[in-house]
Amino acid sequence: MNLAARLRKFPFWSWFWFLVGTLYFVLPLLATFEFSISWDPADPLKAYLRVFEDNDFWETFIYSNLLALATIIVNTILIVPTAYWIRLRVPEARRIVEFITLLPFVVPAIILVFGLIGLYSAPFRVPFTGITLFQPLTTFSFGTNVLIVAGYMVLAMPYMYRSVDTGLRTVDVRTLTEAAQSLGANWFTIITKVILPNVRAALLSGALLTFAIVVGEVTLASFLGVDAFGPYLFLLGQHRAYEPAALSFFSFLLTWVAMGLIQLFTGGQGQAAGAH
Amino acid sequence: MTHLSLTSVSKRFGEFVAVRDFNLDVKQGEFVSFLGPSGCGKTTTLRMIAGFENPTSGSIRIHGQDITQRPPNQRHVGMVFQSYALFPNMTVADNVAFGLRVRKEKDAAIKQRVDEMLGIINMREKANSYPYQLSGGQMQRVALARALAIRPEVLLLDEPLSALDAKIRVSLRAEIRSIQQKLGITTIYVTHDQEEALSLSDRIVVMNVGEMDQVGTPFEIYNFPKTKFVANFVGTLNTAVAEITDPSDGKLSVDGVPLLTAEKMEGLQKGDQVMIAIRPERFSFAEEQKKANVVDCRIENITFLGAVVRIQVLIGNTKFNMDTFNNPFLELPKIGDMDKVTFSKEAVLILGQANGYAN
Repeated sequence: MNLAARLRKFPFWSWFWFLVGTLYFVLPLLATFEFSISWDPADPLKAYLRVFEDNDFWETFIYSNLLALATIIVNTILIVPTAYWIRLRVPEARRIVEFITLLPFVVPAIILVFGLIGLYSAPFRVPFTGITLFQPLTTFSFGTNVLIVAGYMVLAMPYMYRSVDTGLRTVDVRTLTEAAQSLGANWFTIITKVILPNVRAALLSGALLTFAIVVGEVTLASFLGVDAFGPYLFLLGQHRAYEPAALSFFSFLLTWVAMGLIQLFTGGQGQAAGAH
Repeated sequence: MTHLSLTSVSKRFGEFVAVRDFNLDVKQGEFVSFLGPSGCGKTTTLRMIAGFENPTSGSIRIHGQDITQRPPNQRHVGMVFQSYALFPNMTVADNVAFGLRVRKEKDAAIKQRVDEMLGIINMREKANSYPYQLSGGQMQRVALARALAIRPEVLLLDEPLSALDAKIRVSLRAEIRSIQQKLGITTIYVTHDQEEALSLSDRIVVMNVGEMDQVGTPFEIYNFPKTKFVANFVGTLNTAVAEITDPSDGKLSVDGVPLLTAEKMEGLQKGDQVMIAIRPERFSFAEEQKKANVVDCRIENITFLGAVVRIQVLIGNTKFNMDTFNNPFLELPKIGDMDKVTFSKEAVLILGQANGYAN
């Protein structure tokens, strides 16, 4: 094949748009990185060291990670069986559920947090009896944690539900369920041994999105008055110059590591499910 | 002894009656096929036995125990699906072991049973493969092993060969039958493929629009169909309207051509119009004229089908197909030739009054 023929076969425009896209995403990241190491030319990692030496960083970061973990666990327990049941038994309810999962996109987090505060900042009493079931959730730390996780569950629901639902679409849920039932499996075994492993990739994607939302969330954490990573980042951005850039770049790296781990843990399974 | 028993089982989906008054007793170790076209209720009946559908009325018993309301995971039936339904996240060995693990059997016993089952389906070397690494035939063999591993009371197979290509289908159906006979397991097999049903079954239940049309051995179903539907659905069939000319001697005529039948003509009178049926392979050219019916015909068409040559002949004004084995050393007649064909009087089946078959 001569050079002219090879050039004709070369997908020029495909590569052109690929490069434009890559630059669009990579340039801001490079600029951030460059800015983050420009504080002290003698010590390029100064901003990073400052961040990691700050106790507030670690406290808020670990706390937000725990909140994210709790949100992911509770959301998984709630959403996987729900999406599975809808697909298996009430497919006609899918539209309603999809509508509900879209609500967090149209109802701002500020509305949600004021709703939560309005409802749970008073003691919860059994109607017409005067019996107090529990004290205002906003007045003690465990109660506030429950509230904020509940709020995050709502915020993350669209991502989690859609990921799981897409994952369920790739497997023949009904037949696999019936096969497991005919072999003697109960619902718990079916969900944990058959359904969950086959939507693992989708679940991890949903979990990653949930993690990203929770760790960077500001509104709920600020109004509920908890020392989470989102408000910490916000405050840092207002009072410092180089550390926020270092933290942004660090967050990107964290996301990439998470995505890499997802690929690592789900590669074979995705292939298997795809073949099915 | 009756092993599986279905009594007056019916299933409705709203106004639609999927299965109507289904009655069947299946003996221990018997292989029964439900045969019929799509939508005849055969899969619904199978799913009611498995517990995936609840009958609207009637009862299902295994070993005399009523299991009608029992959930599927407590019925102890093994099921093989058309789409294999292997768990994609598990290896072949784990798939086969699944039911045993659910039953919390000991690890050593599970290992031994899995090895035994993989030996039966000749797939020991694939024990650690995942379903996506197997061919369709291999996946269905694993599905069969998985269903059999739990030693089910009844094995249910829902069109297990439909998704496979023709050659594998033939070899796998022989394998299924051989395994079933070896293990002596009571089996219900759903298919719309008459050849599968005829070659595999001890008995066949032919179903049509939710009802049992006929139950019998493959020999009975093929040779003595009781309804036009069965006659048409199982094998190829020539049907024609005939007029009774002498009911006491089994005489009738098609377009004025006299024929004899061995069928009883109870309730029929001279002049009645009936629907008769003759299988294509019951015809032969009249080299020897010992048979009861020898009639003149004209060769209308000849179709070469490989092992068989199908010749269309005109008897009176009615066209009949006759099948003859392909013999490269015999000369076939030519289209337009006049000839004689013969068939025994047992070959002429009366399906009923002609006005009952207006279609």
